[in-house]
Amino acid sequence: MNAAERGAAAALAGLSGMNPKRLASLLGRHRPSTAWAIVMVEHPDPVVETWFRRTPSLVESFRRSGMQRPPEEMWEHCVLSGTRVVLPSDDDYPAVLHGDPAAPAVLFARGSLDVLGARRAGVVGTRNATESGRRLATRLGRELAEAGVAVVSGLARGIDGAAHRGVLGARPGCGAPVAVVASGPDNPFPREHRDLWAEVVERGVVISEFPPGSPPLAERFLLRNRILAALSEVVVVVESRQRGGSLMTARLAADRQIPVLAVPGSLHNRAAEGTNRLIADGATTALDTLDVLVALGLATGRSAGRPPDPRRRPSAGDRVVLEAFAGDPLTLDQVMLRSGRPLVDTALALGRLEADGWIVDVGGWFEPVGAPVGS
Amino acid sequence: MFASIASATLFGATGSAVRVEVHVGSGLPGFTMVGLPDEACREARDRVRAALHSSGIEWPNKRIAVNLAPSSLRKSGTALDLPLAIGVLVAMEALPPEAVDGMSFVGELGLDGSIRPVPGTAPMVAAMGEVRPVVSSRSYAEASVAAVEPVRCASTLAEVVRALRGEEPWPDPPCLEGIPEPPPPADLIEVRGQPLARLALEVSAAGGHHLLMVGPPGAGKTMLAQRLPGLLPPLTHEHAVEVTMVHSAAGVALPPGGLVRHPPFRAPHHSATAVSMVGGGTASMRPGEVSLAHRGALFLDELGEFAPAVLDGLRQPLEEGSVRISRARATVSLPAEFLLVGATNPCPCGGGGPGACCCGEAAKARYLRRLSGPILDRFDLRVAVGRPSGDELLSAPGGESSTVVAARVLEVRARSMRRINGLNRSMTGSELDTHAPLTPAARHLLQRELDLGRLSGRGLQRVRRVALTLAELDAVRAGRPHAEVVSIDEGEVALATRLRQALAPGRAVTV
Repeated sequence: MNAAERGAAAALAGLSGMNPKRLASLLGRHRPSTAWAIVMVEHPDPVVETWFRRTPSLVESFRRSGMQRPPEEMWEHCVLSGTRVVLPSDDDYPAVLHGDPAAPAVLFARGSLDVLGARRAGVVGTRNATESGRRLATRLGRELAEAGVAVVSGLARGIDGAAHRGVLGARPGCGAPVAVVASGPDNPFPREHRDLWAEVVERGVVISEFPPGSPPLAERFLLRNRILAALSEVVVVVESRQRGGSLMTARLAADRQIPVLAVPGSLHNRAAEGTNRLIADGATTALDTLDVLVALGLATGRSAGRPPDPRRRPSAGDRVVLEAFAGDPLTLDQVMLRSGRPLVDTALALGRLEADGWIVDVGGWFEPVGAPVGS
Repeated sequence: MFASIASATLFGATGSAVRVEVHVGSGLPGFTMVGLPDEACREARDRVRAALHSSGIEWPNKRIAVNLAPSSLRKSGTALDLPLAIGVLVAMEALPPEAVDGMSFVGELGLDGSIRPVPGTAPMVAAMGEVRPVVSSRSYAEASVAAVEPVRCASTLAEVVRALRGEEPWPDPPCLEGIPEPPPPADLIEVRGQPLARLALEVSAAGGHHLLMVGPPGAGKTMLAQRLPGLLPPLTHEHAVEVTMVHSAAGVALPPGGLVRHPPFRAPHHSATAVSMVGGGTASMRPGEVSLAHRGALFLDELGEFAPAVLDGLRQPLEEGSVRISRARATVSLPAEFLLVGATNPCPCGGGGPGACCCGEAAKARYLRRLSGPILDRFDLRVAVGRPSGDELLSAPGGESSTVVAARVLEVRARSMRRINGLNRSMTGSELDTHAPLTPAARHLLQRELDLGRLSGRGLQRVRRVALTLAELDAVRAGRPHAEVVSIDEGEVALATRLRQALAPGRAVTV
């Protein structure tokens, strides 16, 4: 299709009042330029007339937002930001989306869509992650990438960002990062992830169903979760609260027969409530990268055994302190009460455990962490 | 005729002697007052005229000129009412001049002839030196604290006049005995759990280390801070007089005996302005909260909610133990040596442990940015205070009572006074080397912290000071209060490092 058609498709996706269902209905029946004429009320269409009858304000919102960002301008914006407009008829439209019940009618991509040809695993989780959750996500991202798996995530704060960082920390030439985002692909959100965003574009791809310049509206996060789920072959939830977007991603994945894995956590950890619930509901337990690779069929069971932990073994006394955590983040006095050791001994033990990498100190709280990346 | 009456005016927390000169002469009836009186002072004319009238004395229908000497000093407030009335009486020959020899007067007059207390009576009386001050009966206690000569007091102008004429003896001073002492401050025994915060409070009291408590709402930060006054030793007489002067000057209610014997505990609301915090504002330069907390504790709850300018205004007093307030007309130095105790939430939502908070990193960073680095750096102790669990609240045995802890605090303070005539918080590097040498294990641990970049040179000093206080508390607990040199072992250093937590990952860790 030519530039005019792609510009029209992009402009349609950017209309205020447009949603994936309406867009799919329009572009399923018309060429983008014809569809544009229809929504600008220059061409009759019975379906669109029904929308207008049901929601009279839609006429005005289509017209006003269409005038603000007409097809030509939108196309220019796409070209300038290096964004490709991908339609289902294109060769590089992700094949897995073709059969999807809620496939996006237009995709905007920065980076290379070819990376989707690899095996793909989604790694998602809460924005309010614990330090150990973030570290695990980074490790998963890196180890999956080194096993040649493309890691799909959402570039959000917390687990998502950590997973992408892990992928970018892997040796080049491994699995690529794939980000499905809720704003335009040239509009980094959150702002502190601007550099991360640019690196993902360079090494992998940032995908959105909203055209360049679109703001990250709340409802768009819910919509993008379905694409994130659909693009993954397995979805791993690292940490999630009782109600969270990552649980929704897990549900959307389950609806599509995509295996869901969850990382178990302490019962007292708020950031593990959702993942523990998923496991209770039948999700596969993910303890490390091997479990994800098994779910992808890239490894067979645990026969190989886990690599040895490179950290110095704690002494028997320090082990008592370490075991007192039972996976929870604790303050110094909580550690002391649980381990039953005097304050001075606890402080000394924590110092040694921290120096050897068994725990981390997060603003007065201590968290036990898994083996470091690259073990 | 002419009269000259001794009195005083207030500036900052000190008084200055003033003579009220009154001339009653012939001429067109009128009243003029010179010598830089402020508005309240100028209004004395109407109060004095009415008070004389109410006391049954006729206002002289003559020309009255009043000079407040020294004329270049600004006089403020209403303390000059009473001396002015006496001056008029002497100058109109209603009182013999020798009756007021060796006497001075301080007090505000009511229109009914009553004598009212004025703020700053104590420093004003102290400034007048060797004369017998006459004050309001209600100011008797605080005036007695500061006066060199015995104080006389009266409730009405008529009583003063009759006493000066020798018609009646001076009224008896109000009885100061048998007045109940204020209730003791809250006791530490009521705090359940929180071993770390309790320890931090004890160390803070013993070494004078400034303390910051970081924790979610409901963790008990305020409750802990309110237990601090109970741990501080009572003031020495010299310090008590200093504190009484400041409190009197600010017009803060004094205890019944007049002398502030217990270390003050000030907890201003976070809407406090810079002037209310450091002082100034009025012509008499009223002392601010930092001076009212002199020799006691200043508790700033919700530290992050204070205006940045207010917090930064604390830096000079924290550094120098006094605050110099400069205005176009005058500069005054007020004492401000206090223990700073701050409390703050870790983030806007109040948070809790990692993973339990619902604030974005940016919101969190913005919140913590309000606490400027230089202020955070002043806190030798920064502890995370967690919410105690239900188990702790219900079953934990009560810890030690304030009395037990206060005894240790007193001992450690006595040691540091003997050693450097100050508190452990003001130990210098060389003093630390002499009085608190490090064991090899402690040195090794500090080296590790420095290598990890979690400790800076300045942070090192602060950790060593806290470690010294910890070691001394241990020595006192073990019944060795007189060992002069305590060596600092790795246990104390490890604990001191943990008592100086970073506020958030990535934030200047141990500055």
